[in-house]
Amino acid sequence: MLDRELKKGSAELIILSIVETRARHGYEISQQIEQRSAGQLKFHIASLYPLLYRLEERGWLQGRWVEKVGQRRRRYYRLTAEGRRVLASQRNTWRTFVTAMRLITGVDNA
Amino acid sequence: MPDPTEDSRPPRTASRDWSAHLRPRLARLALTAAREREIIDELSQHLDDRYDALRADGLADLEARQLALEELRDDDTLARYMRALRQAHVPAPIAEGAPNRGLTADILQDLRYAARMLRRQPGFTIAVVLTLALGIGANTAVFSLVNATLFQRLGVGDPATLAYVSRGNGGVFSYPMYATLRDHTQHFAGLAGWGGISASLHTGDSAELVNGLIVTGNFFDVLQVGPAARGRLLSPADDVTPGAHPVAVISYDFWQTRFAGETGVVGREVRLNGHVFTVVGVAPAGFGGPVLGGVRSLYVPMMMQAIMRPPRARYSGDQNPDLLQHLTNSWISAVGRLKPGAPIEPARAELESLASEFVRTRLPAAAVPARPSPSAPLQPISVVGLEEGADNQRQPLRAAALLLGGVVGAVLLIACANIANLLLSRASSRRREVAVRLALGASRTRLIRQLLTESLLLSLLGGAAGVAIAWAVTAAFQAAPPPAGALPLTFDFAIDRRVLLFSLVLSCATGILFGIAPALEASRPGLVPALKGTDATLGERRARFDLKKLLVVGEVALSLLLLIAAGLFVRGLQSARAIEPGLDVDKLVSAPLSVNLLRYTRAQGREFYRQAVERVSALPGVESATVARVAVLGGSSRVYSLHVEGRGATHESAQSEGGRGVARDPRLINANVVGPEFFQTLGIALVKGRDFRDTDVEAGPPVVILNATAAAMQFANADPIGSRVSVDGPDGPWREIVGVVRDSKYGALREEALPVAYLPLAQNHETGMTLYVRGSVPPASLVGALRREIQSLEPNLPVPNIRTMTDTIGTSLYAARMGAWLLAVFGGLALVLAVVGIYGVLSFSVSRRTREMGIRLALGADSHRVFLLVVRDGMLLVAVGILIGLTGGLAGARALASSLQGVSATDLPTFAGTIALLTAVALVACAIPARRAIRINPITALRQE
Repeated sequence: MLDRELKKGSAELIILSIVETRARHGYEISQQIEQRSAGQLKFHIASLYPLLYRLEERGWLQGRWVEKVGQRRRRYYRLTAEGRRVLASQRNTWRTFVTAMRLITGVDNA
Repeated sequence: MPDPTEDSRPPRTASRDWSAHLRPRLARLALTAAREREIIDELSQHLDDRYDALRADGLADLEARQLALEELRDDDTLARYMRALRQAHVPAPIAEGAPNRGLTADILQDLRYAARMLRRQPGFTIAVVLTLALGIGANTAVFSLVNATLFQRLGVGDPATLAYVSRGNGGVFSYPMYATLRDHTQHFAGLAGWGGISASLHTGDSAELVNGLIVTGNFFDVLQVGPAARGRLLSPADDVTPGAHPVAVISYDFWQTRFAGETGVVGREVRLNGHVFTVVGVAPAGFGGPVLGGVRSLYVPMMMQAIMRPPRARYSGDQNPDLLQHLTNSWISAVGRLKPGAPIEPARAELESLASEFVRTRLPAAAVPARPSPSAPLQPISVVGLEEGADNQRQPLRAAALLLGGVVGAVLLIACANIANLLLSRASSRRREVAVRLALGASRTRLIRQLLTESLLLSLLGGAAGVAIAWAVTAAFQAAPPPAGALPLTFDFAIDRRVLLFSLVLSCATGILFGIAPALEASRPGLVPALKGTDATLGERRARFDLKKLLVVGEVALSLLLLIAAGLFVRGLQSARAIEPGLDVDKLVSAPLSVNLLRYTRAQGREFYRQAVERVSALPGVESATVARVAVLGGSSRVYSLHVEGRGATHESAQSEGGRGVARDPRLINANVVGPEFFQTLGIALVKGRDFRDTDVEAGPPVVILNATAAAMQFANADPIGSRVSVDGPDGPWREIVGVVRDSKYGALREEALPVAYLPLAQNHETGMTLYVRGSVPPASLVGALRREIQSLEPNLPVPNIRTMTDTIGTSLYAARMGAWLLAVFGGLALVLAVVGIYGVLSFSVSRRTREMGIRLALGADSHRVFLLVVRDGMLLVAVGILIGLTGGLAGARALASSLQGVSATDLPTFAGTIALLTAVALVACAIPARRAIRINPITALRQE
């Protein structure tokens, strides 16, 4: 399990990149995270949804209720234009940071 | 984008009710029912999915449920995360039917938040508010000065159609010529005339000297001066018969100060120049006369000329030309109201032709008692629009006001730069707070608005304090006004609406100026969450530091500029102080005796002076006393044409009074008529020949004494004693030169060497002399006794201005002294601010580079080198600033060269001295953080985040 501190700092970047290609609902997002990180990262409800709401309030995500016959309604989240901008910017920063870390600490290809 | 509703998961059969677990966890949040419903729906859906997945993996129902619920963590984790979210974004309560007041509520919230932030850091707040108060206060005070002088209005009606009418440029008319113009002009609806008077006002106990105007009956009508504040104004009915209208109108200010604003002033009787007058009205407030500046306390009708405006120079009670009839004694100034639509040039041409006709027909070629001035007897008429004329009157103070305005503006700019730097530093320490606000949903504009509100709050507080400071300064100035004649214009400046508005606008502008950069800087989003806590943000650092460096360089340049200006003025003052006046300044007291106001006959006048000198000389502590016609260092002069006997009549005779002394023209000479013992009393040494003697009486041969410059000018190295000169024209009477005295200052301290001729009082009767008393005790102590003595001699004589000669010189240096002092104060302030700025920036830089310093020191760097490193960084900024400031200073000094007296615009000591001062103080400011840098403990530094 990765250090809690690190996870906190990068949570937003993670969420934003998960919904980059298409809109997803909350459970799907948590599944994607677990799968793509090969089990290293797990987001539980108590931390995932507040994060989604926060991002939604900031205008980086937009949520929409979708109702299907015979099922409970689901809320899907997609990336807004602003969200895309922030995603690009945060990606950049992360890249720079990682490079710097590598240089300083001599950590090889992460 | 693919349809989000495309779900890759198999449809479910039933849903479980998870609300029993969810509701208690959400209860504490006090959500609205609808919102709670929403959240429960969403989280339930997630739990369902989780349950189904676990079941698909083969877990039993109970286990699957338990595992699913573990997603909720413990009882209050969810609520904790949710609560932080909710509280940050509480929307304003929306009252039913209320309009959307989002903006006002936001602004109020911003203000409250800003106030809280400022209260939390009292030291910072006080420092900033104080700095701003000084800067804005200074600017407000200067603006109120500008307001009082440059924006001053004349208080007349419809100024666009008024114009000053004069001979030559600002010259005066004789009354008959004026009357001719007035009666025959077709282009002017009315032409009013006035003359300046000083009158002895006697109300019961003592006499005082008041200034005023003697005016034609149509004066107030032509100027369209508003309704009288009390009683009535003068009208043409008061201007009919000479001597038959003993009435006066007093000015509003005079009514308030001298008569305490009493309502019964109309109808009151006062004695003017010994005669009874009745006050018939009070002029409206805001009317101070037809020209700017000067204090005019009363207005009397032209027909009272015999009493109120006796001729000056050489006249006395038994020789009394009627100035209303005198054809060539010029003393009337005029202002006219053009008929609607009438252009100026045709009006001017008409007056010109009227004037030439007057000269042609009325002026006889021979036998004119007074002599016209050396300049042409008839000069072209000039007509100048009122606004333009008023503008010319403001000229002398305009340069000073602009200079002062520039200086205080520069100080405020430096202060703003400092505060901006301070805020920039603070911005980085507030990153966490800003990050939280951004995370909790604040938009960037909102954040910028919030930060700007803080800046504006600071600047408005500073502005309010600044207005208080300005008010105190103007009150102090009112209480201790400059001595009469010290400044070319008088003014009373008060904090009125316009000044307050200026102050408000300036405060807001200042707040935005120093707040915008830090606000933009501090609200940059996105980077913080990713790099929480660490200070050094790569790539960003360089840009921000450059702004602060730029500000510091600007501060240094500006402060050097101010210091140079201050230095130049101080040096100028020094040089003025060092001027040798040529007389014993510290032993003398002077008292003007204006007996011409009382129309003494020649015999009466002579007797009066003799008695005055005799009685005063008998006072204890008095060494000697004398009188003189032209007051020494009084700024005035009397100029005669000079002819040397035997050299032929090369030029006409001429005489003028009142202007500046002439220096280079050998045909003219400055003159003074002096009583016995003049030279001993003033301490002017005799170089050749003899002083005036008792035998130089009226019946005897006329004599004259020249000063060294006059002797050299007319006689070069030859001995002038015995030669004869005439000041009355090429035909004499010839006066024998009996002595030569050393040069002494005549009209002004800074004049070049003037040629002066001294005539004895005994042979040249004068009215209006100034008494000079030489004391063996400090002269200030003689003032009271002097006043008593003179007043007992003649109670009707006002003796307002008994001054020591030191005071007189002080008055002439007043402007220079004031200027130097003000500039020194502001220059010093600028220096302090700039140095604080340097220190602040360097200190901040050191603290940010603590890790770097620590690493260097740990790696064995010489602490000396680290010290030099820091100092070099700082001094580099100072050097650039000095370079810029120096260039500006040289250019500015050249522009100011006309105002600089006694010091060159490239005065080396000034430039060198200010640069040295600035460098020295800056070095200290750099050394302190540098010392801190080398004291850094490498271990703690490396550990520091």
